Formats: sequence, structure tokens, C-alpha cells
Amino acid sequence: MASRKVPIKAVLIDLSGTLHVENTAIPGAVDSLKKLRGTGIPIKFVTNTTKESRRCLFERLIGLGLELRKDEIWSSLWAAQDLLRSRNLKPMLMVDDAALEDFSGLTDYGEEEQNAVVIGLAPSMFNFSQLSKAFRLLLTGAGVPLIAIHCGRYYKRCDGLALGPGPFVRALEYASGCHSEVVGKPSPTFFRSALGDVDPAYAVMIGDDVKDDIGGAQAMGMRGFLVQTGKYRTGDESRISPGPAAVCPSFSEAVDILLKEYAQSEGDS
Amino acid sequence: MNLLKNPRLNGVLLDVTGVLKDGGTAIHGSVEAVRKLREAGLKIRLVTNETQVTRRALAENLLDLGYPVQELDIVSPCPALISFLQRENLRPHLLVHSNVLPEFEGIDQSNPNCVVLGDAAENFTYEHLNEAFGILINMKKPRLFSLGRGRYYSDKEGLMLDVGAFTAALEYAADVKAEIIGKPQPEFFRSTLKDMGVEPEEAVMVGDDVVSDVGGAQDCGLTGVLVRTGKYRPSDEKHPTVHPDAVVDDLAHAANLILESRK
Repeated sequence: MASRKVPIKAVLIDLSGTLHVENTAIPGAVDSLKKLRGTGIPIKFVTNTTKESRRCLFERLIGLGLELRKDEIWSSLWAAQDLLRSRNLKPMLMVDDAALEDFSGLTDYGEEEQNAVVIGLAPSMFNFSQLSKAFRLLLTGAGVPLIAIHCGRYYKRCDGLALGPGPFVRALEYASGCHSEVVGKPSPTFFRSALGDVDPAYAVMIGDDVKDDIGGAQAMGMRGFLVQTGKYRTGDESRISPGPAAVCPSFSEAVDILLKEYAQSEGDS
Repeated sequence: MNLLKNPRLNGVLLDVTGVLKDGGTAIHGSVEAVRKLREAGLKIRLVTNETQVTRRALAENLLDLGYPVQELDIVSPCPALISFLQRENLRPHLLVHSNVLPEFEGIDQSNPNCVVLGDAAENFTYEHLNEAFGILINMKKPRLFSLGRGRYYSDKEGLMLDVGAFTAALEYAADVKAEIIGKPQPEFFRSTLKDMGVEPEEAVMVGDDVVSDVGGAQDCGLTGVLVRTGKYRPSDEKHPTVHPDAVVDDLAHAANLILESRK
């Protein structure tokens, strides 16, 4: 593989399917992460979660033996609370109870004060009455944003597939005529907020979702390394154009490429 | 000035919810308006996407409110859907309001090969939507029927989501395009006109839904009148694609306009 001489200034790493599957780390992931840490390149762990708070994700990853700091986790939920706080919004939150701790201080606005609708995954609120309430809020005035944690169509539940947040976002968009702001992957805003000041051209995204991880990152100028673990299916790499910058059997091989590039750029300088 | 100016006007199609009644009460002046239209010899049909109650129950409700109408005057999506299901040998999984289940009594619902969505209201729960989704996603060629595709309607609690919102949800989730039975589907208007023996240019539709009532009717060559009752919102008058032939305060005004136009 032709190596590049662009120094790497940030690495974004997907969690589920890339570093672990449920409660098992992907073979080699713990050690490879340690090796990558040795370079000192800033790392962010990016994930589309609608359920787990930052603390909950952190504890799970630590439990798997992965080395990280809590503030390196950049989830779609975290991005949503970041957006709400930065814009001073008072949301009606349709998110899972377990996720509420990321929204501390944002959970108790009365109906009259609310000026934003946030859709995560809240089966107990995804019903006629609550959705109609959210709809009425969207109609109250210009500028009540509809914020989607992400637009996933469905997810796997123990008893089969179940509806994700996306369908309910579409329902509210259809009825109200407004367009949602998606805060999770593959939204460019999400990658940008995870990168901070780093120029995307100097950043790499590693993930198992060819569209949301790789396509999303590459669309805003990063390089995407697709791993063939997790939800990867044969042929995924040809589902986006241009294809992934690299396709690797697992996280370890992706790190090997980065280490090689790193050594080279260090040698050059 | 009369915006409608159509001496051939002979048939009147009226939406029900938001034009004749709001929740459980008649809209002021509407009962008298229907009576006047009747007395003038105009043919009248109540064209509704109402799928929360059967036609019979709706007719009884309207009679109670003082409207001179009977069941046969009401055109609603359920009967049209049922004859379609029978013709095509379709066995539906129903996500509809419990009040309309009696309409489907004669229909085989075992081992479903399509999903039907109506204005299920409180029946729109996460689990019910999941169930419908599960059936669609496991079909080789998923078929989703939607009884109308309204965005919202006005109820005593305020504006409520109509079936169209949930149709959009399932379309997105299962990657399927719903087949619409009801307004604004052209076939729905055409078969109503045929049944009335009225040509499109001889007919006017009065409704509170700028897209489904007014736009749907206009697309079929009817005159479309928007009333400022029911779910009407001022922004409807600036709709990017639908331009009503007239916008009036209520059915009473619409009726005057219609009667004037024939002179």
C-alpha cells in the first residue's frame, strides 16, 4: 500500500463492531489501541448511540480492558447535549431514560418553555399522543428545531428488528414540513465537532459501517479505514464511491497502517 | 366579485372534519349551508379520509348534528380499500382504529401479505408500529396501503398527527412506497364524480386541507376551495404549489359563493 506523507493529527474510532461486539473486545483491539496511544496522536471514540450515556459507554470500555479517558468519547447523545447547550435550547427530550444523565440540567423544562424537539430512542414516548405533542411544539413558531440523535431505520433487538429513531423523525418531518438536524454520524457537523480544530485532511476515521463511518468521514475530507468486523458484509467497500481509503481485516491492521505512516512522517521531519 | 364564476357547477364535494364539524360539534353555519346547497338542487357527496369511524357511525353523528345526510352520501377510503383487497386477493395486517374493525370483518386476515394503515390514533403505539414494520421487512415485495395520507387534523386536544406521518415512518423504515387509498389520490375523486354523474369541471371541492382536499381536487380538474376552519393555518394560503380557486372563512361563505356562481 502506498503510504502518504501527510502527518496524522487525529484518529476517530467507532466503538461497536470496531473495538468490541457487545461485551467482547475484537481480538487484538486492546493491544493495538495501546500501540496507537504510543504515538501520542489525539484519539476520539465516536459512536451513534441513542441509549448509553458517556459514563455508561466509558465503564463498558474500561471493563473490556480498553485504555481511554471519558472525555475522549464523542457520542451522538453527547453531540446533542453539546448543541443544545451551545444554542441555549430548552428541549422536549424523546430519549431513553438511561441516556438522560448526559442531559443533566436540560431535562426539566415545562411544556410552555420548550423550544426544541430531540428524537433519540424512546419507545415509551413513540406513540400517538407524545408524537402529536412534539408535532405541535414544532408548529408553534419558526425556529423550533427538530434534532435527531441519528436517523437509523431500525436496530437489532433480542426479539428481532425494531424501529430506530429515523422513522419517527420522518413522521414529524412529514407532518410539520420542517427538516431535521441530524447530530450523529454521518452528519458533517458531528465529525467536525469531534475533530475540534484539526483539519479533516489530517484525520482518519476507523469504522465498520461503510456508509455512516467511512462515507460520512470521507465526504467531509477525512480518510476512512473500513474494518471487516462487526456489521461489515462482503462487498460493503464497493457500496460507496470513492471507496474507503483502506480496507482492513480488523482494527489491528488499521492501526498497523497508521503506525507505518506515522513512522514515515516522523522520519521525514 | 365571484372567484368561481361557473354556471355549469352541479356537484359539490365536501370534506367532513374541519368543514362540517370540529371534534363533536357542528361548525357554525355549516348545517344551514348544506341545506341551502341541497335545496338548490346540487349533488352533494361528503368526501372524507375519516377512518376513525365507520360510514354508518359518521352518518349518525352528522344526523345528530342536524345535517340532512345519509350513509350513502359519504365517500370514505375503507369501502374502496376493501373492494381492492378482495379483487387482488390481499390479506391485510391492519393497523387501524378499533372503531373501523367491523368494516373488515369479512376479510381474511390470516398470514398477511400486505399492511394497511388508517388513522389508528391511540393504536399508534411503538409496539404496534413495530409489528407492522416486522411484517413489511420480512416480505419479499412489501406492500403498504395507507388510507389517505393526511399530515394532521384538529381534535379537542389540538392538532394531532394523521395517518400520513406514520405512513412516512414505515415507508422510511421498510424502504417501501405506500399505495394511497383516499384523498388526494386521483382515482378517489374520479370514482366519486362518476358515481355522481358529474364532470370534473362541473364540480367543486371544499376542504380545510390545502394539499389533500384542494390540491387533490384541482389535479383532477375540479374547482378547489379552502375554508379557514378546522386545521386551517394562515401559512396554507402561501402554499408553494397549491393555489386554491378561492379561500373563504367557512362553509357558509363557500356555499354562498357556489350558489352565486351559478347565476
